Amino acid sequence: MREPEHSKIVHLIGGLLVAMAALAGRPALAHIVDGSAAGGFLGGFAHPLFGLDHVVAMIAVGLWGAFLGPPAIWVLPIAFPLVMAFGGAMAILGIAVRGVEIGIALSAIALGGMIALAVRARLVPAAMLVAGFAIFHGHAHGAELPPGTDAVAFSVGFVMATGLLHLTGIAFGLLTRWPIGRIGVRVAGIGIALVGAVFLIRAV
Amino acid sequence: MRGLAQAFAEGFLNPLLTPAHALTLLALALCVGQQKGRGAALLIFVLALAAGFLAIVLAVETTPARVVLLAVAAALGVMAAAARVPKPLVWLLAATAGAALALDSPPQAVTIAAAYATLAGTAVGACVVLLAITTVAGHATAHWQRLGVRILGSWIAASAMLVLAVQLRLTE
Repeated sequence: MREPEHSKIVHLIGGLLVAMAALAGRPALAHIVDGSAAGGFLGGFAHPLFGLDHVVAMIAVGLWGAFLGPPAIWVLPIAFPLVMAFGGAMAILGIAVRGVEIGIALSAIALGGMIALAVRARLVPAAMLVAGFAIFHGHAHGAELPPGTDAVAFSVGFVMATGLLHLTGIAFGLLTRWPIGRIGVRVAGIGIALVGAVFLIRAV
Repeated sequence: MRGLAQAFAEGFLNPLLTPAHALTLLALALCVGQQKGRGAALLIFVLALAAGFLAIVLAVETTPARVVLLAVAAALGVMAAAARVPKPLVWLLAATAGAALALDSPPQAVTIAAAYATLAGTAVGACVVLLAITTVAGHATAHWQRLGVRILGSWIAASAMLVLAVQLRLTE
């Protein structure tokens, strides 16, 4: 008997979350080799998790992808890190982008709104919208890359945490298979948009 | 003898414990694993690795191998994410990765014998890691497994691009 598609995606998310847990469960190593690869990885991994505006927007990407279904469910989480890295590289190279904080807040409002209103956009416009916002998120993270850390390990940790936030959104988004879950996801979309609105007011 | 064994073990772990090396090997393995004929790419990698180590033995001076490795990792990551891996390009990147990995692994040994043992350990370690991940990636044939490989590829490319930007900033 063929396994349902959502069950396979749950397996994938589960596997990646187990990998995350295995990597995150090495704090002792980070203390031993402070400033080295392990310390850099943990620093990078924690970085995206300490900004609520980033967190809700990352989850919204996965949530909207799950809402739209295949292929958006995997195209959005693949496209986002690549474009986000481009934005991060711009910040590291000193290329300024205006209104980064406003862009991040708008990303939460827009993506939360898409989920709340159950907008079923086509793949290309959806990917372009997500990619456009990824520039702002990447730029903010790139500008805050701490000097003196292992840059490779920091970047790996940072990208992994971002990707796992997307997967968290996808996992939550799979609830849309049930009517009550669909309502829950749309309510979550309203919550994400409200968080974005609060950050927008603070940024303006 | 114990010193040589320790030097070999240090070399063996080097590709695993050096993030840029591990990232490149993972990206290459994901790309090679997505292909049908994998032997050619693996052989090219091994030959290039040997050539790189020969260059180290012949006392080649400092090279920008780390930057090259990261650029290769970014390119391979994008290819793995796109699930489009033209064989000639993979072969070229496998050769570049092998040579750059070797050139970026100069041994920090006290004696000549220990240095050779470290180089041998690095060579064996890199090949074992590449072969193991390639085998796993090659068995990822189910739809959700292939998606996992593509997602990992995008993460590798994103990480490598960020670090490349840092390296470029440092060289300015």
